[in-house]
Amino acid sequence: MSLSRRDFIKRSAALTAASYVGMNLPFGQHNVAHAVDADKWVRGTCRLCGVGCRLELGVKNGRPVALRGVPEARTNYGYLCMKGMLFYKMMQHPERLKKPLYRERKNQPFKEISWDEALDIAAKKFAESVRKYGNDSTAYYGSGQCQTEETYIFQKVMRGGLKTNNVEGNPRLCMASAVGGYMTSFGADEPIGGYANIERSYCMFIIGSNMAEAHPVFFRRVMRQKLDNPDKVKIINADPRISATSRIADMHMQFRPGTDMALMNAMAYVIIDEGLHDEKFINNYAVFKVGKDGKELDLDGFKQSISEYTPEKAAKICGGNITPEDIRKAARWFATSQGSLSMWCMGINQRKQGVWANNLIHNLHILTGQLCKPGADSLSLTGQPNACGGVREGGGLCHILPAHRPVANEKMRHEVEDLWGIPRNRIPPKPGYHTMAMFEAVNEKKIRAIWINCTSPAQSLPNVTPYRKGMQSDDVFMVCTDIFPTKTTECANLILPTAFHFEKTGVYGCTERRSQLTTKAIDAPGEAMPEVWIVREWALRLAKELNDPVIKKCVEPFLDKEPDYELPQAVWDEYTQKLTKGQDNDLRGATYDVLKQMKDGVQWPAPTKEFALTGGTVMKFVRGSDPLAEKRAKNDKPYQFYGHAHPDHKLWVWSRPYVGADEEPDADYPLYLSTGRIIDHWHTTSMTGRVPELLRANPYSFVEINPRDASRMGIKPNDMVEIESRRGKVEMPAKVMEGPMEGMLFAYWHDMHEDRMINKVCHDAYDPGSKEPEFKICACRARRISGPKALKPYLTQLNE
Amino acid sequence: MPIGGFVINTLPEECSDVAAHLGGIAGVDVHGSDAQGNIVAVIEAETSDLMEECVRQIEGLAHVLNVGAVYLHAEDEVEKIERGELVPEHPFKKRKFKLA
Repeated sequence: MSLSRRDFIKRSAALTAASYVGMNLPFGQHNVAHAVDADKWVRGTCRLCGVGCRLELGVKNGRPVALRGVPEARTNYGYLCMKGMLFYKMMQHPERLKKPLYRERKNQPFKEISWDEALDIAAKKFAESVRKYGNDSTAYYGSGQCQTEETYIFQKVMRGGLKTNNVEGNPRLCMASAVGGYMTSFGADEPIGGYANIERSYCMFIIGSNMAEAHPVFFRRVMRQKLDNPDKVKIINADPRISATSRIADMHMQFRPGTDMALMNAMAYVIIDEGLHDEKFINNYAVFKVGKDGKELDLDGFKQSISEYTPEKAAKICGGNITPEDIRKAARWFATSQGSLSMWCMGINQRKQGVWANNLIHNLHILTGQLCKPGADSLSLTGQPNACGGVREGGGLCHILPAHRPVANEKMRHEVEDLWGIPRNRIPPKPGYHTMAMFEAVNEKKIRAIWINCTSPAQSLPNVTPYRKGMQSDDVFMVCTDIFPTKTTECANLILPTAFHFEKTGVYGCTERRSQLTTKAIDAPGEAMPEVWIVREWALRLAKELNDPVIKKCVEPFLDKEPDYELPQAVWDEYTQKLTKGQDNDLRGATYDVLKQMKDGVQWPAPTKEFALTGGTVMKFVRGSDPLAEKRAKNDKPYQFYGHAHPDHKLWVWSRPYVGADEEPDADYPLYLSTGRIIDHWHTTSMTGRVPELLRANPYSFVEINPRDASRMGIKPNDMVEIESRRGKVEMPAKVMEGPMEGMLFAYWHDMHEDRMINKVCHDAYDPGSKEPEFKICACRARRISGPKALKPYLTQLNE
Repeated sequence: MPIGGFVINTLPEECSDVAAHLGGIAGVDVHGSDAQGNIVAVIEAETSDLMEECVRQIEGLAHVLNVGAVYLHAEDEVEKIERGELVPEHPFKKRKFKLA
């Protein structure tokens, strides 16, 4: 490369960055326009969190050479994080799975086989399981990282073809409580607003989220709003751990783990006690509910039900640094700002009382009317790029069919069967196993053939050790579709190599109801194939094995389509044009052609192309913004809460008493343990662990310990610490820091090494409503086992 | 050599100090800063490993709130890898596939 061209590229990089902040540089774009001569720039979405940042991959001679953000995208306005910038390194990685691999027994080495052989084996084994043990002996376990087309076609073949609702996915482990919260409070899943509220919000309540590390580009917008309006915007960060997010907070409320419900009930108490509630909004749009049967209350009854949560009492329950005056101040800021925006993530969802905790956040918004207006929203942040779009909307959980239809609803079941052109009653009426029950059923050999797609439950389940037994057993046939070896492929009989992001075409739906298309830019390595092709070919063989033409019928609309574009397009068309028609996530306007035109996709509902081309619905339920609000209006009020779970079209304020964690510290296990993410890594590290730059920054897990606890236990920085719970123990080096509050440890969960895998220690109690496990809190004990030790990072290898 | 364009955010009152400090880091060119605490910088490094190290160093500076990456050009590195001139470091000990 010549010096002058290099200079041009540097100037181009500077101009790109300067354009984001409106800065003028002494050299102009006209000088550098041709500096980067990629053959093509292919637009897509980052796959390493739920924000949905848009980017373009520069491709030259069939390989990726550059990456840039898309400045016009309303998700990220061009910004990316380093994790997102470096993801292209996974594409041509030498450890990518490139050939189908098989072994009959799990103590044998894998052998390379052809796709024909692999698909035949998968079909024969699933058919055998059906014949011997019944349809419900088969299962599919997917991921919030699968494209919508993949989740949709998998669940269609499982439900319509194999007649089982054993269709689950890892979003059960992260988002299920948010679904439960939205359904029970607002009557419909997914947020009312989206990111556009950040720049209009004057009070931001961040609870159970370290967005600075888990969602850095989203955090940038929050930070910018605060820094641009330092006196007008208030940020409340409520979390037992001080994190990078706390740096921009006006108030950090550090509560004892599991006491957030007392805190939020106390904020509601102050709001009503001081008359800060919005009576008109409540009268127009809300009702109060209590108990399992949802008995109605009036405002006084609700007030009475939370009367014990005085700020004084709640501050005592919460412990930490919270004073009664802090609770009053936070409640006043929240209630009186021009627009209040709550944002939360796993700290609220991964809880035994996750749905209730979600309800209590929504309560604050309903009571104060902080909804449906600029800057006001109750926004659950999603961890994965397609937990919303693919799994929640596409039918990827055991109890929901595509487009938010409950399995248990006979009319909706028949609707789906009719739309698929398969006989009625083909889809069983009973929901399948939820995630934790599914792997228990694998242990109990009730499930004999399971397909695990793009996720690694052998590492990611809480209290993981006992759940591995079934996966490791030769009595259970296991298929894994993935791009790298994982702890779960170690338990597989059959590993099928799949195309990665930008090596195939498909849609991701991010946090804010936004569907965005990523088109294929480069070829997948070796024989790796897109999942939609794999499922179609498997289903055709399965139909022959079981002599069941309905299975073939499930994939008939997708026959003879080439796998890179036409096939996913046909799947997307069926899903959007048939299944979402008339549903609250109506995506008929968001065709591939429309999505290709949009720099940042479409927010549903978007029933027509014309409307989709405007970007879709920015604020759900609001007339003038949401076309369904007009169509389904029952009166002349400006907001229409038409979600199907609330026939009264009202928002429900729930009386939910404070309940702590399932396992509180005691004499034997005196500390709280919480776990979470860091900025460099993604989940189990099977991907980011293979990017040396990201691995080097955090080569293995650490445990954060409060300095006062460390001093008491004689632990110094980098000492090796053993963390033990009733379920297991691990050891990892210590970071002594003012992060977690006193009496609490915080461990990173990104480590494949058996000695450091924190999920062996975590608790598998789960929310009775959402079935989401309480990853975030358990009781443990810790001790120093040695001084600093030289540790090596570890990733599962699949060698010869 | 990879080249990256970045917007680095600081507290507004610390912006010029941070920008001056950044200017002293090898491979970092500061192109400007503003009253809102934005600093526009280009990082050029021998390898993307070294660029990442540099970003870490900046993230660790007092008063730096966020390092926003907006552009990365790594064609040279990809070409070198293809020609066999650069072998990406493999930091893991190779291990046989562990049986279940």
